[in-house]
Amino acid sequence: MPPTFNPVDYAVPGFILLVLIEMLWARRRAPDAYEPRDTLVSLAMGLGSTVAGVLSAGAVGALYFKVFEFRLFEIGWVWWAWAACFVLDDLAYYWIHRFGHRVRWMWASHVNHHSSQHYNLSTALRQTWTGTIALGFLFRLPLVALGFHPAMIAVCVGFNLIYQFWFHTEAIDKLPRWFEAVFNTPSHHRVHHATNPIYLDRNYAGVFIVWDRLFGTFQPELREEPPHYGIIKQLGSFNLLWVAFHEWIGIARDVWTAPWGSKLGYVWKPPGWSHDNSRDTSDALRERWLADHARQPAE
Amino acid sequence: MVGEMIQLGASLVAILALAGLARWLALGNDVRITSEDHARSLAAEAVYGFSASDLALDRAGIGALLRDDQGRILLLRRHGAHFAGRLLDSHAFARLDRNFLTIGSGEKTFGHITLDLGDKAQVWASSLRHLES
Repeated sequence: MPPTFNPVDYAVPGFILLVLIEMLWARRRAPDAYEPRDTLVSLAMGLGSTVAGVLSAGAVGALYFKVFEFRLFEIGWVWWAWAACFVLDDLAYYWIHRFGHRVRWMWASHVNHHSSQHYNLSTALRQTWTGTIALGFLFRLPLVALGFHPAMIAVCVGFNLIYQFWFHTEAIDKLPRWFEAVFNTPSHHRVHHATNPIYLDRNYAGVFIVWDRLFGTFQPELREEPPHYGIIKQLGSFNLLWVAFHEWIGIARDVWTAPWGSKLGYVWKPPGWSHDNSRDTSDALRERWLADHARQPAE
Repeated sequence: MVGEMIQLGASLVAILALAGLARWLALGNDVRITSEDHARSLAAEAVYGFSASDLALDRAGIGALLRDDQGRILLLRRHGAHFAGRLLDSHAFARLDRNFLTIGSGEKTFGHITLDLGDKAQVWASSLRHLES
């Protein structure tokens, strides 16, 4: 009998408690770590994301169960299947996340998580309302096709999400070397949320930072380069609807005004791409940063 | 269904309580631009490579206008506990009232800001009128 529980439901009180504790820490040590309107927007995005997830779960689940009928292997519910599923789901997450930064259609959804200029535990809950439209769920279809039960995948996704909550903080510096080498940590993920050119599009990992080391996207946090958070063109707005949909509107405007041969480029090429080179992609900014600093990023 | 609605309502209450707590704890300082160097640093952060050759600070430090050698003009304005910037083009608007210059980027959600630029206000208003797209 497949499990039907969602671990995230049980984690929510813990999320709230930890946000509370971090706020008390911020009051004493870093009052700028939180801003009330920013916190409200982040938490409202989180709540909206939950609602959107419930609304789209039926369609995604139906697709997964249809593919599951044609599975390659009978994996079942053995203990090692849970471990394998968790690791492979984390690998799938790495690629969802990487595409989420490199394809504007997917970025239009994921940008919501990055649009705060703060990096705190409430930012962790700043989640998209349009994840299903962005099609990230397709990246988990290989797991279903292999024979991992959709309910097992859902539980692993839930635990992965729970793990990703705690490292959205500036309250923790670096952790022991062995832990930093294997797992995603506050330090690694600060890099991911930073807009400093050297940090752009790095550290996509969910739980295991080894994926970034393996696929060449790892960047350690540098003492001489304190992270600044947010997106390259900061929103400058606490309007919830604008936060949720601004990049989709941006895509629509660009597609509308672009020459015919370039329209699709604004959908599938990286954020910042433009047909007349009037904007900067993260690659271009990073290259300029490296040229300006005339050195390679230190390991 | 009733259970889900109760859960949704409780979540909403928790969200408002946490945001209210952040306000009660006075989190999110009253940030200001403290010097020309500070403004330059914020500008370089807002637009990578922007190197200001001329600038005007609001007297209270809530915003600034900066120009680089390429003639680009950047508006910095306070946003919560941080600053956000926009390069201004022909869509920008400016309204001068003695030492006060009200500026918008033309982007509705970015809003507009009134800066007290002292005797520099008139010169910058003139510059903004000549912006190209």
